[in-house]
Amino acid sequence: MILDLIYLDYAATTPLHPSVAEYMRKVQSEAYFNPASNHAAGRLSLAVVHHAAIELAQLFNVNPERFIWTSGATESNNLAILGAAKQREHRGKHLITMRTEHKAVVDAFLFLEKQGFEVTWLAPNLDGQLPLDLFEAALRDDTQLVSIMHINNEIGTIQDIEKIGSICRKRDITFHVDGAQATGKIAVDLAALPVDLYSMTAHKFYGPKGAGSLYVAEDVLIEPLMFGGNQQHRMRPGTLAVDLIAGLGKAASVAQRKMTDDLKHLSSLKKQLMQGLQGIDGLHINGPSKDGYPGILNVGVEDIEGESLLKALEPLCVATGSACNSQSLEPSYVLRAIGRSDIEAQSAIRFSLGRMTTSDEIDKAVSLYCRAVKRLRSISPGPIL
Amino acid sequence: MSDSPYNPVVHDCFTNPIHVGDVIGGPTAYFEDQGMRIRLSAGIIDSSIVELRFRAWGCPHIIAAVELFCRQFEGRNVQDLEQFETGPIMQDLAVPIEKTGRILVLEDTIRSLKAAINDHLTIK
Repeated sequence: MILDLIYLDYAATTPLHPSVAEYMRKVQSEAYFNPASNHAAGRLSLAVVHHAAIELAQLFNVNPERFIWTSGATESNNLAILGAAKQREHRGKHLITMRTEHKAVVDAFLFLEKQGFEVTWLAPNLDGQLPLDLFEAALRDDTQLVSIMHINNEIGTIQDIEKIGSICRKRDITFHVDGAQATGKIAVDLAALPVDLYSMTAHKFYGPKGAGSLYVAEDVLIEPLMFGGNQQHRMRPGTLAVDLIAGLGKAASVAQRKMTDDLKHLSSLKKQLMQGLQGIDGLHINGPSKDGYPGILNVGVEDIEGESLLKALEPLCVATGSACNSQSLEPSYVLRAIGRSDIEAQSAIRFSLGRMTTSDEIDKAVSLYCRAVKRLRSISPGPIL
Repeated sequence: MSDSPYNPVVHDCFTNPIHVGDVIGGPTAYFEDQGMRIRLSAGIIDSSIVELRFRAWGCPHIIAAVELFCRQFEGRNVQDLEQFETGPIMQDLAVPIEKTGRILVLEDTIRSLKAAINDHLTIK
């Protein structure tokens, strides 16, 4: 076991909440049956799935029947975007998204471009926000789908989903939101918000990996991506992973209970982190300096290379770029989109804080960061000549 | 089990570099490419490299590569610099293939250092 790590990468994944783990173990041993089976054991598992849907529905204030179970946000995003675009092809072939979306969204749109759809890739402002005037100017008569993420996974920008959704609704445009980083973190009332499709994954809010869901509003139709059974109204066939779904539901329930305290805790820690780092010469914040999600702080520092910084920060576990992209040598496209240069983007470190993060860990992180920057600057030949 | 992208040699050379600095007044070479920046300087007595120092900006593999080069060539004859090849150092450090270009920046810097040393010896 790794005991000395300081884990500040909660936007990449979170640990299972103990009560979630305990409940999942119980389901694995006592309700492992196929919920599609028409016998008492099968009905027991089906009841577990229904209970999870109720817990998730309570988090979003919607009807439990509106959720499709998936393997995670990547699948939910693909199902939403590809499924909606194909379903409403008759409505038009123009789609809109942002340059700062997660790869699961970006790649789905790139696929649709190859299929003959036209995609407008909107640029954010320096804070990562979608400028609404730019958005409205991009809308066309044949625009049929808009996809915007709720909280950006790299820089923590919270988009104005309500305003974007209202504009979409007035024009009969399907609105999908990638809510992977927002679910269980901030209040999302899908009964009140003009959102048609909302993607989520359990492991970002202390649930299990491999479990996700797609909320589909009433009267919204999407085409399935997979075929092979009657499960989930043929929208996503395949035997349901009862234990994972149960874990997702329980995590949603815990998140709803702890949300206010979590946000207070994270806001306090982020303030402490920002205060600790502010004395570093050449430090800048990537993304919103205020009003962003308190669990994410992305900073860069002049004349420091990101991969070396990450190595020098050990045993601190943070991210350069997004976790899904950290194997790549390319600078983050999200940071490029908000106007950072390659060099600036390369020095970026994302601190993402969570429920278990302590004030002591923030102190240690600040100390490690300051020491690493000082050491790498002492090795550097100086700025580019 | 280790999933670290860095082997123990990289870890040691990156974490404990003993050749960081400058040889003031010695032959010096600076090269930048692929987003990497390297400066090498040498202390030369007769035809011996008595001191090698570096400064570098880049990923852990490039910093470790420059440190390893200094460890291997300090104390040797100037002519031995001809023997430097990128292959063995890439092997020692298990440099991923996609970073080959970065190691070539080191090779270019060493070539420049050799030229600077030759100029230095000619003037002497």
